[in-house]
Amino acid sequence: MPRIYIHPLPVRIWHWVNAAGFVVMILTAIQIRYVGLIDVISFRTAVLVHNYTGLVLIANFFVWLGFYLFSDRIRAYLPEINPRKHFIGSFRQMYFYGYGIFKGEPNPFHLSIYRKFNPLQSMTYQVVLMLLVPIQFYTGLLMWDAKHFASQIDFFGGIRVIDTVHVLIFCALVFYLLVHVYLGTLGHTRLAHFKAMFSGYEDVEEEEAPAVTAAATGPHPTSERPRNPVTAA
Amino acid sequence: MLKFKNTKTMRRPMQMLMLAGALFALTWSGSPARAEDEPSAAPEEPCLGCHGTAGMEKTLKDGSVLKLHVPGEAFAKSVHGANGCQSCHTDIDPAAHPPSTKDIASTRAYSIAASEACKGCHQDKVDEWKSSIHGILIANGNVRAPVCSDCHNPHAVMKGAAAQVENVACKNCHGEIYNAYLGSVHGKSRLASKESYAPLCSGCHTAHAVQPTFGDAPRAACTGCHADVLDQHKTWLPNAALHFEAVSCPACHVPNAKRKVDLMLIDQNDKAAGTKQIGVPLFEASLKSGGKGIDARTLWNLLQTLNNEDATEKTKLRGLLTVQNAPDAHRLAHKDQAISDCRTCHSKGSEAFQSVSISLVGPDGRRVGYGANADVLNSPMSLGAVKGFYAVGGTRIAALDILFILAVLGGASVGIGHLVLGWILRRYGLANGHKHGSDATGGSASA
Repeated sequence: MPRIYIHPLPVRIWHWVNAAGFVVMILTAIQIRYVGLIDVISFRTAVLVHNYTGLVLIANFFVWLGFYLFSDRIRAYLPEINPRKHFIGSFRQMYFYGYGIFKGEPNPFHLSIYRKFNPLQSMTYQVVLMLLVPIQFYTGLLMWDAKHFASQIDFFGGIRVIDTVHVLIFCALVFYLLVHVYLGTLGHTRLAHFKAMFSGYEDVEEEEAPAVTAAATGPHPTSERPRNPVTAA
Repeated sequence: MLKFKNTKTMRRPMQMLMLAGALFALTWSGSPARAEDEPSAAPEEPCLGCHGTAGMEKTLKDGSVLKLHVPGEAFAKSVHGANGCQSCHTDIDPAAHPPSTKDIASTRAYSIAASEACKGCHQDKVDEWKSSIHGILIANGNVRAPVCSDCHNPHAVMKGAAAQVENVACKNCHGEIYNAYLGSVHGKSRLASKESYAPLCSGCHTAHAVQPTFGDAPRAACTGCHADVLDQHKTWLPNAALHFEAVSCPACHVPNAKRKVDLMLIDQNDKAAGTKQIGVPLFEASLKSGGKGIDARTLWNLLQTLNNEDATEKTKLRGLLTVQNAPDAHRLAHKDQAISDCRTCHSKGSEAFQSVSISLVGPDGRRVGYGANADVLNSPMSLGAVKGFYAVGGTRIAALDILFILAVLGGASVGIGHLVLGWILRRYGLANGHKHGSDATGGSASA
């Protein structure tokens, strides 16, 4: 099965540091918020681990941001500005996941180096990585040293407001993570996408017949040459 | 009218003659006696000829009894002994004394009026006292607040006496607090050694410029001696500076105290954090209408009213975790006994958050506290009302817990639901048996 080098090393490092970090953050967050109900580690240890892991994740975020800002692969994150195209693509992707996938229909989305997210992924990652995660980092940073950032906390309405936003996004990210992991199992094998995230190479099948128009799904892998194509059979 | 308890004795002609002779001799001797290095055992003050007699007293108009006896020896030894009587009692004309009648309403009125004499030498202390809560209370007509002579017996005041733990005058009114202090790490140190430099009452509250304990003042008193305490806490306490702002020292350093959250209503631009009187009438009205303590919605409404469009100064609540009563605030234990278990406050339903008060600055500068329901700390309404006080876990909003559960169930149900859907479709022949789905073109990639 042909393979395409879709996940460069910095992205893979960022991804797995992020994944491990977010698991730690979620677990320590649960320990912090529900101390007394859950007492696996001490509250203080949980807070310290949460704080330092958060700082690592913030630094890691800039690894991701820096890589994409200085790479032409940032095109993968550029939003589809045509709402009609985006809606049609999203609808077809939802249909595929909800029914077509069980019928054995081909995925309407075609993977390429510059187009590695289907419309649903694209929308989700833009919201998660460019809105929720930065806000989560920012609110976490404010609470990490609330006295130092007191003026900013007051500007946004006080520590309780900041924490509530932090918790709301926490809930959203917990939901996202569970769904993200499950969708990761929907490759041609259960572990295909997970392996790809380690190796960098995604398996792609030879295309038999395009299921949807290129306009709705993005350019065909072979229709757009990467500046530094790295593919392997 | 003057009355001598030993009137029978005083009627004896011989003793009357001796007393008159003594008075004459003292008067003739000229200037008042000066207690220098060696105080006189028999003071040479002519006034003491009468006022040195034990039991001398006068019944005033209100029925109270004004004691007129001045122990001569104690007076001579006192720091005032060298000054003589008339340095303070300037209103007394020896030639016309005693007056047949003198209009003194009460002993308290006499003490308050007589304290004016202290200004003659101690103007700076009197000024400090006038700015204190004691002075303000007196100025506002409260006759129970102390004046100079309540703390310093003017006829027996000794240099350094107030610096002895047994002699602090504060215990006369604040006995329960004094006893609590004696059991504290500070009080025990003082009792154990005369050389101890642990603070007495005045060490924290000052001797004369005593202010109501509100806002940051008590902590400032602690850090006055324990200057590096914040740095010490930073070595183990996350967000130590925030803890210092939101938690009073006794809340942790009096381990057995009952704690509460005091929500102080302050002008948000008030750097002194709570010295302005605001909002009292509104809260009074609210209490009268409800009577069960202020709940979250009422509190939010009150703040909305206070911060309406016409308000020139915005008002907010500043929360402080502290102890419930003043004696507990003085039972400071050794630091090894201080609470360092975060769960004490950060677990849901902890004792610390079951008692809530809302305090305002009253007319005389003292706090006026109003009871509030504990739900003001964890209701969703607290987002609008109690913005500035939050203990992670301890005062969490329950509605967010439900949201978290929904997020977990929702996230898990997406995968489970999808698997079940695939199973059902295959079961009824609506799918072709792709167990893993068919992501034939590798159309799903991680970020």
